[in-house]
Amino acid sequence: MPSSVVHAALALVLGVGLLGRFYDRRALVVLLAVVVAPEVDTVFGLAFDGAHRTVLHNMVYGTVLAGVLYWETGREESLIRGRWGARGVRIAWVGLFVHTFAHLALDWGHLEGINLLWPLYDRFFTLEGELFLSTSEGLVQTFVEITADPDTGTTVVDAGQGGTRAETHVDNPAQPSDEPDPGPVDRRFPIAVRGWQLYLVVTALGTLLAKRLQTPRRSR
Amino acid sequence: MPVEHDASGMPPTLLSVAVGALVGVALLGAAFDRRSLAVVVVAAAAPDVDALLGPLGIGAANATLHTVLVPLAAGSLLYYDTALRERSWLWTRYGWYGARVAWVAVAAYAIAGIGPDAFSAESAALLYPLSGRYYAITGGLLYSTQDGLVQTYAAVGGGWIELATPGTVDTHRVDTWIAPTASDSNSGDGERRLRLLESGWQAIVVLTAAAAVPAKALIERGDRVRGDR
Repeated sequence: MPSSVVHAALALVLGVGLLGRFYDRRALVVLLAVVVAPEVDTVFGLAFDGAHRTVLHNMVYGTVLAGVLYWETGREESLIRGRWGARGVRIAWVGLFVHTFAHLALDWGHLEGINLLWPLYDRFFTLEGELFLSTSEGLVQTFVEITADPDTGTTVVDAGQGGTRAETHVDNPAQPSDEPDPGPVDRRFPIAVRGWQLYLVVTALGTLLAKRLQTPRRSR
Repeated sequence: MPVEHDASGMPPTLLSVAVGALVGVALLGAAFDRRSLAVVVVAAAAPDVDALLGPLGIGAANATLHTVLVPLAAGSLLYYDTALRERSWLWTRYGWYGARVAWVAVAAYAIAGIGPDAFSAESAALLYPLSGRYYAITGGLLYSTQDGLVQTYAAVGGGWIELATPGTVDTHRVDTWIAPTASDSNSGDGERRLRLLESGWQAIVVLTAAAAVPAKALIERGDRVRGDR
C-alpha cells in the first residue's frame, strides 16, 4: 500500500486549498486523522481474512456518508452546524473528499487494489493501464479493456478485477506475507517507494511552506 | 533492498497540468478564478515545451526548460519587484491578485512542471546550462524491523549527495513524441505516441484534480457571497 505518509501528503495538498478560510493547524490534524482511519481495517484483518482493504476500503460507505452528510447539514436543526458552525460543515465535507481521493482512490491504483463495491459486490479492483494518442492507433486506453472472447463470442470486460475478500490478502506491516525463507520475520514499513511517492511528499511540504509564506489579501 | 523500478517514459504533460491545477487550488486562495487557474496550469505545462525546441536545435528535451534556474530566476525577479522595490510594478498594475497569481505560477512551474520529470527514471537536467547532467530521483524509503531506516533515493558519502543519472545532454536523449528515438520500439513503423497517462496513480491524480477544481470553485463562490473575506 502507499504508506500513510503518501496518503497524508495528498490529503494536505487538498486540505490547504479546500479548507479555504477555515485552514488552520487543528483542521489539518482532523484531516490527517480521517485519511489514516481506513487502515483500522488492518486490525479486523487479524480477526478474519481479507478484511484489510475491504471493510473500510470501499466506495459504498463513502457514498452513503455523503448522502447522510448532505441531508444532515441541510436541515434546520443540523447537529454539525449547531455544534461547530460553518467550520464544522466545511471540515466534514473536505474530510470526505480526502478520504475518497487521497486514500481510497490512491489504493485503487496500487497492488491488489481495493474492494470497490463491498459489501454490495465482493471483488477487488485495481486501476491499471495507460492512455495515449498514437499516430497509427488513435486514442488508446487500457484501464478498462473490453474484448470479445474468441471462442464463445461473448463480451469480456476487464476493469482490473481480482479475487474476492477471502482470496485476497494485501500485505501490510502488521500482517507480512509468509516468506519462504526462514529466519526472523522482517516487517517492513514503507514510507515512500519509487520516485512519484516521494514526489507527492515533497509537493505537500512545498505547498505547506508556500501557504505559510503567503501574504494575506489586505496586508500591504 | 528490492525497489520497484519506474517504467521509462517522459511523464505526460497531462500529469503536469493536473498537479498544476492542484497547486492552484491549494495556493491561489481568494485569487482563485478561471483566469488565474489558466495562468497557473499553463506555467505547469510550460517546461515540456523544450521537447519542441530540441528538434529546432535549441537545447535538449527535459533540459532547456527543466532547469531549476528558470523558477529561481523568476522567483528572484518577483521578490525584487514585490518586496524590495519602493513601488512594485506588479502591485501597481495588477494589485494583490497579480502578485498572488505570479507567485503561484512560479511554484506550479517548479513543482508540477519540473517535479514529475526529476522524480522519474526519465530524469531532468536540473542545473542546465551550468551542467548538462540529467538527474533522476528514484528509489525507496522504508523502515525495516531488521535493517532499520533504509533509503535508496540518493547515495550519501564523502560529503556529497549523489543522485542516479542516465547521462548528460551529450550522451543521453530523452525520448519524446515529437522526436522518438530510433531504438524505441514505438517508432519501428514510424508510429508516434503522445502519452497522456502511464499508470493508475497518474489517472488518480488527474481524477482528483478534476474533482478538486469544481469543489474549490463552489467553496470560493460561497465564501464570496458571505462577504467575509
